[in-house]
Amino acid sequence: MTFVDNITEDTCANCGNVNVMKRERSLIINPLKTCQPLGAMYAILGVEKGIPLVHGSQGCSTFVRYHLARHFREPIEIAVTSLHESAAVFGGRKNINSGIKNIALRYRPELIGAITTCSSEIIGDDVFGFVDTTKRELKEMAEEEQYKGIDNVKVVPIPTPSFVGTHFTGYNVAVNSLIQNVTEPSDEKNGKINLIPGIINPGDTKELKHIMHLLGAEATYLTDISDAFDAPLRPSTESTPFFQKGGVTVDEIKDVSKAEGTITICKYAKSGAETLETTHKVPAIIESPPIGLQNTDKFLRNIQLLTDVEIPESLLNERGLLVDLIADIAARYLFDKNVAIVGDPDLVTGMARLVGELGMNPTVVCTGSDDVTFSEDMKKIAKEVGTDIDVLLDQDLRAFELYVKDNEIDIMLGNSDLRFINYETKIPLVRFGYPTYDRVGYHSNPIMGYRGAKRLTEMITNAVLEKYYDPYHWKLQQ
Amino acid sequence: MPYKLFDVNKEIPERKEHVYVKHCNDDDEDIKCNTSTIPGCMTARGCVYAGSKGVIGGAIKDVIQVVHSPVGCTTYGGGAKRYPSQPNMPDGSEFPIDNFNIKYVCGTDLKESDVVFGGTKKLKQAIIDANKEFPYATAIYCYATCTTGLIGDDMDAVAKELSEELGKDVVAFNTAGFAGPSQSKGHHIANNTIFDRLVGTKEPPKTTEYDIGLIGEYNIDGDLWVIEKYLKEMGVNVLSRFTGDSTHDEICWMHRTKLNLVRCQRSATYIAELIEEKYGTPYLKVDFFSVQYCVDNLRAIGRHFGLEEEAEKVIKKYLYPIKEELAFYKEKLTGKKVYIFSGGPKSWHLSTPIENELGMEVIAVASEFEHADGFVKMKDRVRQGATIVDDPNTLELEEMIANDKPDIILAGIKEKYLVHKLGVPSIMIHSYENGPYIGFEGFLNLAKDIYAYVNTPVWNMLEFDPNSQNEDNNIDNETISNGSKQSAVGAGK
Repeated sequence: MTFVDNITEDTCANCGNVNVMKRERSLIINPLKTCQPLGAMYAILGVEKGIPLVHGSQGCSTFVRYHLARHFREPIEIAVTSLHESAAVFGGRKNINSGIKNIALRYRPELIGAITTCSSEIIGDDVFGFVDTTKRELKEMAEEEQYKGIDNVKVVPIPTPSFVGTHFTGYNVAVNSLIQNVTEPSDEKNGKINLIPGIINPGDTKELKHIMHLLGAEATYLTDISDAFDAPLRPSTESTPFFQKGGVTVDEIKDVSKAEGTITICKYAKSGAETLETTHKVPAIIESPPIGLQNTDKFLRNIQLLTDVEIPESLLNERGLLVDLIADIAARYLFDKNVAIVGDPDLVTGMARLVGELGMNPTVVCTGSDDVTFSEDMKKIAKEVGTDIDVLLDQDLRAFELYVKDNEIDIMLGNSDLRFINYETKIPLVRFGYPTYDRVGYHSNPIMGYRGAKRLTEMITNAVLEKYYDPYHWKLQQ
Repeated sequence: MPYKLFDVNKEIPERKEHVYVKHCNDDDEDIKCNTSTIPGCMTARGCVYAGSKGVIGGAIKDVIQVVHSPVGCTTYGGGAKRYPSQPNMPDGSEFPIDNFNIKYVCGTDLKESDVVFGGTKKLKQAIIDANKEFPYATAIYCYATCTTGLIGDDMDAVAKELSEELGKDVVAFNTAGFAGPSQSKGHHIANNTIFDRLVGTKEPPKTTEYDIGLIGEYNIDGDLWVIEKYLKEMGVNVLSRFTGDSTHDEICWMHRTKLNLVRCQRSATYIAELIEEKYGTPYLKVDFFSVQYCVDNLRAIGRHFGLEEEAEKVIKKYLYPIKEELAFYKEKLTGKKVYIFSGGPKSWHLSTPIENELGMEVIAVASEFEHADGFVKMKDRVRQGATIVDDPNTLELEEMIANDKPDIILAGIKEKYLVHKLGVPSIMIHSYENGPYIGFEGFLNLAKDIYAYVNTPVWNMLEFDPNSQNEDNNIDNETISNGSKQSAVGAGK
């Protein structure tokens, strides 16, 4: 059974329409997406003692380390097979073989994600075959006393050339590869729910855990970056080699076939859920993320579909606090403001719905993904909110910039790269999405769940107050 | 034997020759460097494309940067460096977009079909689109990446054709990511390309007897503007900058300078040598990191042009105001142990100044991509017992920290947050914390950042202490008072 988003279509008389605009230029200017390997590396860093090994040039690892480090301000440890000219001519077999062994011997990890790139795919490396050979060699080595146990490491090949897809699809491929390679068939049920979070922040995975805790539902996160990308500084707890903290364990991944169901909270990350449904008969729910009031409601109802839980008073009170805030401030400060939203497709979808709930207009939504479900979701939201939405699909930040300069926009929601547009147009910017590198605290706090929606509402309202209300005016007195 | 095999390297013994400990009885063995990284290491090195776009081409302010790649390399090529630019152009006009070089990055967004059928058609269209989008740009630079290197797109042919069609320079940099052991190869290729394609193709509006080229200065956090200010006040005219805050045209008339100053000697000595060879222009290798090097080199430039008095004036003007504050930091930092993990040459630029002018002990230096000549300088300039590492990886850094317990590490963003987790402060030395770090005031900024990081009170509060004395006693505790914030200016005056 596959549940799809069922936002009601008949709630408004003044029905909104969407106007989808795709990129016409051949050129891309300031992309809103990046390569598949980044999504795969992100996913593997959410596995306990998991190491991403990028089979490609050093830029393929070093750029990603830089990008993730400046957003999360955390150590981002990624290994690389250092492909050079000789590999381009003779193939990269030696590189990946010795790379896996190097990590297996020096780090003794639980899992290695062997992530392909443009170069290793173009030269035609059979990474699946190479990994198999290497595993056999590790097994032979393990017979020696000093290398005992070396073959326990799971090595998962992840095919992610950058000339296909985006970092979203790369994440999807990685999670699916983990399930295909690690998950074991089972007839048992363990009462748990699998959650595939997508590329989100640790603040959000922690919020999902908080919600599941209040519900009394157990979940396995595929994968779980909550501690890896937001880790305590406690030198006394560190040991060498350094591994990112937390993460889903290999044993937990083995067992996800025993779950009551899988919920994917970003639609682009659905393959893993589908594999679990078709191969292991674990029901799948493919959904928009719980951003905003109704999406969070929906998320809770979906949990209830899969497992027998009551919504506790504590969660209803969190909902009530959000409703209280919206009731108190939305009509007065936010009503009818035009909002421009840019970022990852599923996050933007959730954000657009929240903006509608606040009585604002999601005037334009923009994403770098070419996934058509994005426009379909926007159609439903336009109907629900009753405003027209311009949908910039498969677009770049330049298109968003020109749109914002040409139209009446009151507030922008997007990543730190929008700061230039903010300086120039003076349109207030609420930082949202990836990467957010010029403010602190964004990634470690939630935008999901009732508490996340409350935080977003506060951020949006404060930005409106700062921009549109004279600080000395009597209107601000009460 | 000066070589050292770290414990973490016993499975990869070939790393031994990349690690060197300086002893009095050193033989002349070289440190192995500029070779391919061992697969499976957590290296901080980048790719060849990173060296050409990220360092050389991307700093120029009036050029459209087109990355011929699937989307990833384009995304990473944007916003990766902190080299601001001002809109002023050599002819006195203003470029319509400020910081154009850090605001926009373009790419061809190659897909699977392009990989199969070739990407040159898309590259052509992308360049035409780019020119339409930013018609005021002076030139268009295109960069090869792994993909376009492997599928064999003839970017030079496209560049030639479109240069004629658009009436402006379109330059192809053949810097496929895998085409060398590190980003250093990208610097080299970009130097050669710029020399072959551009230098000597335009003439400056006017020249003087005091025209210099400032080569290998990329204006990280405004470094270039500090040096440029000193030179200007001495009466020296910076005719061409390679490539911080530079314009395309001044690159084209680099052959008209009377003297070239080479600041980053790893990434840009190539072009100074080529210019000397072809045009006879001499070059000086210069160093402005720290007070002493800055004084020495301003004097050397003064001597070259007969501007000795002017040089002294500049030195006096900018050295005097920082002296007292710098002395304060030296007093506070004396005896602190430090590592310098640089990308290229900063390890040997900074080791002596940090020892002599800040009183710190440089106990290890490392470089991602320096070559043999740079490692010779590192060896010369560090103290006995110091460790020198080529292309260090994370495990090695962990072992070093466990053994040495340094007080601070100067490194990059990839090391910084790991080092913090181990309880050691770290500042970014590739990009900076609060730069500029060059020149007199820049060195003061560096000292201040080091001091701030070392003395931030948090380093004394890392762990919960169940047996702590009561708070009142703690106020007199030496560790706390060492850690407390003191104003350098207030203390000095």
